[in-house]
Amino acid sequence: MKSKRFEALAARPVNQDGYVQEWPEVGLIAMNSPFDPKPSIKIEGGRIVEMDGKTRADFDMLDTFIADHAIRLGNAEKAMAMDSLDIARKIVDINVSRDEILDITLSVTPAKLTEIVGNLNIVEIMMGMTKMRARLMPANQCHVTNVKDNPVQIAADAAEAAVRGFAEMETTVGIARYAPFNAMALFVGAQAGRPGIMTQCALEEATELQLGMRGFTTYAETISVYGTEPVFMDGDDTPYSKAFLASCYASRGLKMRFTSGTGSEVQMGYAEGKSMLYLEARCLAVTKGAGVQGTQNGSVSCVGVPAGVPGGIRAIAAENLIAMLLDLESTTSNDQTFTHSDLRRVARSVPQLFSGTDYICSGYSATPNYDNMFAGSNWDADDYDDWNIIQRDMRIDGGLQPVKEDDVIKARNKAARALQGMFRELGLPPITDEEVEAATYARGSEDMPNRNVNEDLKAIEDMMARKVTGVDFVKALDKAGFPDVAQNIYNMLRQKVAGDYLHTASIFDKDFHVYSGVNAPNDYHGPMTGYQLSEERWEQIKNIPNAIRPEDI
Amino acid sequence: MDQELLMKQIVEQVMAAMNKGTVSAPSSTPAGGRMTAANYPLAEKEAAKIKTPTGKPFSSLSYEKVLSGELTSDDMRISPETLEYQAQVAESVNREAFAGNLRRAAELIAVPDERLLEIYNALRPYRSTKQELIDIANELDGKYGAKTAAGLVREAAEVYEKRDRLKKF
Repeated sequence: MKSKRFEALAARPVNQDGYVQEWPEVGLIAMNSPFDPKPSIKIEGGRIVEMDGKTRADFDMLDTFIADHAIRLGNAEKAMAMDSLDIARKIVDINVSRDEILDITLSVTPAKLTEIVGNLNIVEIMMGMTKMRARLMPANQCHVTNVKDNPVQIAADAAEAAVRGFAEMETTVGIARYAPFNAMALFVGAQAGRPGIMTQCALEEATELQLGMRGFTTYAETISVYGTEPVFMDGDDTPYSKAFLASCYASRGLKMRFTSGTGSEVQMGYAEGKSMLYLEARCLAVTKGAGVQGTQNGSVSCVGVPAGVPGGIRAIAAENLIAMLLDLESTTSNDQTFTHSDLRRVARSVPQLFSGTDYICSGYSATPNYDNMFAGSNWDADDYDDWNIIQRDMRIDGGLQPVKEDDVIKARNKAARALQGMFRELGLPPITDEEVEAATYARGSEDMPNRNVNEDLKAIEDMMARKVTGVDFVKALDKAGFPDVAQNIYNMLRQKVAGDYLHTASIFDKDFHVYSGVNAPNDYHGPMTGYQLSEERWEQIKNIPNAIRPEDI
Repeated sequence: MDQELLMKQIVEQVMAAMNKGTVSAPSSTPAGGRMTAANYPLAEKEAAKIKTPTGKPFSSLSYEKVLSGELTSDDMRISPETLEYQAQVAESVNREAFAGNLRRAAELIAVPDERLLEIYNALRPYRSTKQELIDIANELDGKYGAKTAAGLVREAAEVYEKRDRLKKF
């Protein structure tokens, strides 16, 4: 006989997910591996000669880079001598300030960081996040893509996402040669929806930089680093090339962050028998050493690996916390989809959403899942109301707000028309009124007419050869009768001259006023401190259109 | 306490400037001339000190000038001096690694886009011989005065050799 109870359970979505037992020898362990190195440091003549059990002669490329660039030497011996459990307790002690914690954690090795957070349970990790994230107020980032690479839809989806509250937007491509159109559609759509939103286009490293230099994007994020040398080589980079790339971006006034995450090394077959979290701590040390202001981490596109092992989702939260302990802007994944279970996907996001991080998602999909070209996201456009109501239930700021259908339709239509006008003025293949209409009311690319892809790609090649830049977008939009959108694009370009938004955890409000870890630092030190929802913001969050009002009864 | 002192100094300076009738230049740069978090955001508080790499004052930039063609994309870039100011701001909030990156970046402003992309690609694994990397370092140093960037490339040359990541023939 078969149990009917077990039959029903077996059919549950959670049982369609893959799970695996720990196997520490190959690195299939989230954190606290018996094979993780013991923290150690030895400094001679102002130079680290031993780190985490290895002498300099045995250092690989990452060890060398980290030892030479990532650790503050002045306080290192003292900080390394402190008990890791004591440091962990300081992290959750409201009487110990963020600055005091940073004095310790910026002076320790990757193995020490791993050991410190290894003492924290998930709620303590969340308390740590609340105190240690760089910016006072949390924010959110979305993906804007579609399977057809339809630029009109990108513009409309970006405008809607802007109205809904995202501070940053990221696109990428199905067909690589479409990248310039996707980037400009995102830029225009975002600025049509709400002035001051930062936009990026995820591409191969050198191409991504090129689009930034041309003024098609305002920041970059997909600058991957890895925790072991062989995987770094497979990624076709080194800590030195990535550090140089980081400076290239800043030299053009472009904000950027690195990307890393637990599980990538196991997935690529070279974990060297270390825990996922220890290897991620090395990635974050490389990020710090390169002088980058922040990171997108939290397993990101390798989430299936830690999610399959015990304690894996805790480890993802722990790696976000390590980023914060290194004073990095934390853009905390909640990105690629990893489970069939709605319960599991919400639980996975609780630590970052409830604690608040600099960017809670580093890709909330602003489209239905079928249009997400980053292999699907944990949250998508069909979940907008769920997210809003969770914010309302918990009285938290997840970066979004309820919206009115009319406002969204208006924003989508304006973005589509602005792009239509800009395409016309730049001599690009026409965007028809039919496309504008479809994009205004579309849920996804299934509702969009097809474009002539060959014609688009030819026009892109020609446009890039003509050296069209962001300045040309401004002129074209003005000529097309969208001076307000043009002004917003101009204002974003102007910000590159001043460079204020290069700083840690920056965002812009609608008036292009920058908020970052410099002028809006997180000062949480216990109840009723740190970020508090203003009355105005709470009104915005709590007033969902479908709530019954007492006066109507 | 330091922060408080600084704020006080700044307020005093601004008040003094206002009393002299020079309200148009509300510079809050503290004595010694270094920028700090109190000067941030520079676009709002220190606009008078920022210039484009083409020498145009930040406050002279305008939408209308973009439309008329008086401003081009070459003007809409950051200058080495501004990046140095931002590095000082970063240091004032204890972000010295980030400040180092901004200073390295300031040196690279003079390197043309195409060349910058070539150098980045040359730093990827197995792309360059040791001599090629040293030549790049000398170019950065000699031609552009990019001393810290050159230092990073020289460091890479040593490490790549030791770890067998140089170009193979």
